[in-house]
Amino acid sequence: MSKNAPTTLGSNPTKLQPALSVEDLEVVYTVRGVDRAVLRGVSFSVAPGEAYGLVGESGCGKSTTAYAALRYLPSNGKIVGGHVRVGGRDLTEMTDDELQQFRAHEASMVYQDPSQALNPTLRVGKQIIESFTLLGHDNATAATMAVEALKKVRIADPTRVMDRYPFQLSGGMQQRVVIAMALACNPTLLVLDEPTTGLDATVEAEVLDLVRVLRQESDAAVLLIAHNLGIIRGLCDRVGVMYAGRIVEEGPSAQVFDDPRHPYTVGLLRSLPRHGVRKTERALATIPGILPLIGSDLPTCVYVDRCPIATDLCRTTMPPVVPVGNKGDRFTLCHHPDQIAAIEEPAVSVNISVLAPSDENPGVLELSHVSKTFKQRNLSIPALVDVELDLAVGETLGIVGESGSGKSTLAKAILGIEAADSGGSVSLDGRVVMASTVGRTADDKRSMQMIFQNPDSALNRSWSVRHILTRSVEKLTNIKGDAANQRVEQLAEHLRLTPRHLDLKPRQLSGGLKQRVAIARAFAGDPRIVVCDEPTSALDVSVQAAILNLLADLQTEQKTSYVFITHDMGVVRYLADRIAVMYLGRIQEIGPTDDVFNGPNHPYTEALLSAIPSVDGEIVTRIRLEGEIPSPANPPSGCVFHPRCPRVIPGVCEVTEPPLREVSPGHAMRCHIPVAELIELQRKPSK
Amino acid sequence: MSATQPTTSGLSERKQARRENWRLIVRRPAFIVGVAIVLFWVICALFPDFIAPHHPLDYRTGKHLPPGWGHLFGTDSTGRDVLSRVVAGARDVLRIAPAAAILGVFFGVILGLLQGYLGGWVDLLASRIVEAFLSLPVVLVGLLAITTLGRSNVVVIGVVAVLFTPIVARTVRAAVLAERELDYVTSAKLRGESKAFIMFREILPNVSGPIIVELTVRMGYAVFTVATLSFLGAGPPPPSPDWGVQVSDTYNNLIADFWWPTFFPAMAIASLVIAVSLIADSVQSVLEAS
Repeated sequence: MSKNAPTTLGSNPTKLQPALSVEDLEVVYTVRGVDRAVLRGVSFSVAPGEAYGLVGESGCGKSTTAYAALRYLPSNGKIVGGHVRVGGRDLTEMTDDELQQFRAHEASMVYQDPSQALNPTLRVGKQIIESFTLLGHDNATAATMAVEALKKVRIADPTRVMDRYPFQLSGGMQQRVVIAMALACNPTLLVLDEPTTGLDATVEAEVLDLVRVLRQESDAAVLLIAHNLGIIRGLCDRVGVMYAGRIVEEGPSAQVFDDPRHPYTVGLLRSLPRHGVRKTERALATIPGILPLIGSDLPTCVYVDRCPIATDLCRTTMPPVVPVGNKGDRFTLCHHPDQIAAIEEPAVSVNISVLAPSDENPGVLELSHVSKTFKQRNLSIPALVDVELDLAVGETLGIVGESGSGKSTLAKAILGIEAADSGGSVSLDGRVVMASTVGRTADDKRSMQMIFQNPDSALNRSWSVRHILTRSVEKLTNIKGDAANQRVEQLAEHLRLTPRHLDLKPRQLSGGLKQRVAIARAFAGDPRIVVCDEPTSALDVSVQAAILNLLADLQTEQKTSYVFITHDMGVVRYLADRIAVMYLGRIQEIGPTDDVFNGPNHPYTEALLSAIPSVDGEIVTRIRLEGEIPSPANPPSGCVFHPRCPRVIPGVCEVTEPPLREVSPGHAMRCHIPVAELIELQRKPSK
Repeated sequence: MSATQPTTSGLSERKQARRENWRLIVRRPAFIVGVAIVLFWVICALFPDFIAPHHPLDYRTGKHLPPGWGHLFGTDSTGRDVLSRVVAGARDVLRIAPAAAILGVFFGVILGLLQGYLGGWVDLLASRIVEAFLSLPVVLVGLLAITTLGRSNVVVIGVVAVLFTPIVARTVRAAVLAERELDYVTSAKLRGESKAFIMFREILPNVSGPIIVELTVRMGYAVFTVATLSFLGAGPPPPSPDWGVQVSDTYNNLIADFWWPTFFPAMAIASLVIAVSLIADSVQSVLEAS
């Protein structure tokens, strides 16, 4: 591998020849006939056996860098400057044949969505064997090697898995198979592009554990792209923070995240809800402004427009590479790294304690025995089973659980998009409302609105923002004409949209602005209850912070109640007053946020909590779940969680379903294990 | 540059995107050729007297002449100038084909929206009827229409529109099926919008891309189908210079080597069909890429 190594490196054993070295890389995309700069001189290197992470908001050039590292750009992308060297060989000078050989033998890539990386019409085994026969092994050897490869990625029963089609495997299993195939050629370089983004938290934790173990077994250099800073911290030795096609800060992950030295890194980290901060304590920091468009002319510091400490020097001169510390392993691209400490923390914005639900706060929503059964041919699939919930005025109820747990069905049942089964009831202000939206009164509709996950899908793309808001105002409040226009303008101002935004179409707005419009629409008729279905999961963290602040502010002013569905435990901890944990259509645990985070917990909650990749490097009790969520059409006997429960009591859990039992005031869970025992089992290790 | 507001740059970016899209279409040689041919025929239809050397019904030459200097495309069996007749014939097809295509797309859009959005038995029933229609040969439907309704341009427009409606409906239905799963439709339901409002005001503008593509593609087919129907005798009666009528009038003489009175109107049909297809292809590929 080191056949081309320059002799000068031999004298310095600590400076091995890097497995991947990217030098001053410049990439452009041709969009509508014009070349637009995406990477503006990216340089970094990854040593053999090292893991290097790239972080930054979407559009910063992370994925482009990853693809360029294998010279695998989309057809409209091209490298216009710089070099990419893997094992000393320059990819930018390779012919197509050499490149193909290189990709087959020396580098591998794992993508975001494993179901797209596998051929759905071929058995898994055939696909893995193929990745070995391509390397020149005969069929018999390849078959044995395939079994070995699956064992290596901790698949317990390789022969059975090989006999299946990809769709018969869970997402986590599929990603293991993809990783096994990626490791087939024993690559010099392994590129992971958001490898766990599409997976549930508990599965993500499993896959990350696997990658961690595999790193120790192989000496491949790993380049990991992730927007989740916790994943990078947990997995990478070093991290590069990217902004607008440049690496603005680089260094050992722990140091960069604990003591950032570039204003962008500071902004990124402060916009995360960390260290268990709650909305009652302080607002989240945000980064004002937006990322420059690709192809923009950025002659000086790329971050200058959004930087809180920018000076005239920053606007006129390109910042130098400033070393941080004296070990030579960190740098920041900033004129004023000494001013970082001067960046102010956001002040406590509002006293949100008025929101805390109390006995005086009357309930606004009550769900009693709500079930939802979907009929599919002759099969009845219970998606929601006997859900009991209440919600106080001005309260936020967080709903967490993995995909398939019934979170979204619950939201739809509350709103009447999917009418709940007869036998249960949804009550608004103590009055039972019709199960289906169509049957509800205009006032019921006004009172319950929704904020969706993806603003691109939630806003009609051929309507202007003004049209969208006016229609909602007219329809929900019966205000017409000039009065409606006035209300739209007030609404927009309230959500910090300028009058100019009103005349734009959704696609002319950034993701955060779009979500503001969607929120404005939900608030058009002064709703009592707003169901938020993962409203920030499609957004970057700095935008997420702004939206969470906005939701908290609106709630303070209007005493709106939120049902907040999310998979992000940090977000739910920041915003929710109470949390309900769902599994297979049932509420497994419900209680005040602090109680849920401090325990004792239902073992499923415990697993969810230990799956959070922490950006702070906190130690958490780690329990892992085996297998996958069973099909709701055929739920397990007794406690539905027992087949995956690490704390299962044989002879009890599979026989009877535990009742929802109160362990402390307002904190209840469905578990057979006595509370005292749970407390003992879940005692946190001291730091 | 650095000081521009995100919104203003967004606005100009959108305008620019549209301009760049337009430039991409215009830059395609296929588009230019297509537009040039169509424009030529439009001018022929509007000002036949400027281009045609003779009147299309003027048979005073009285001789069946092959193409030559006096008559570039020759004359037909009754001595009329073929070039003049081809030029004059553009008017009929350029009125009938677009009218038929627009009418067919109009009904197809309505049917497709109803099928896609309402689903259920409406979709099931309409789909079966559509399939039944699609299985009927164009020629058969044309002959049936002539015998029952008589021959006129209105009948031709009606028959082509009826034949196109199910084809367009199928495309629109597919687009609506994807669209109705989006959350803005859920949001409209949550504020109590009617089904008609959701279909025509919310969804329709968002499926305009495929509809525009379908319209341009149908135009090309319409030219072809209109020519076929008038060849069969559904269109205006002879001595109309309609291209289809000319071909059907003269093809019997092909055996006697009088190829020009049939060949030139046939080429006119082909050139217009190809030209419209070239335009349709360019529009489609640029719209689908962006």
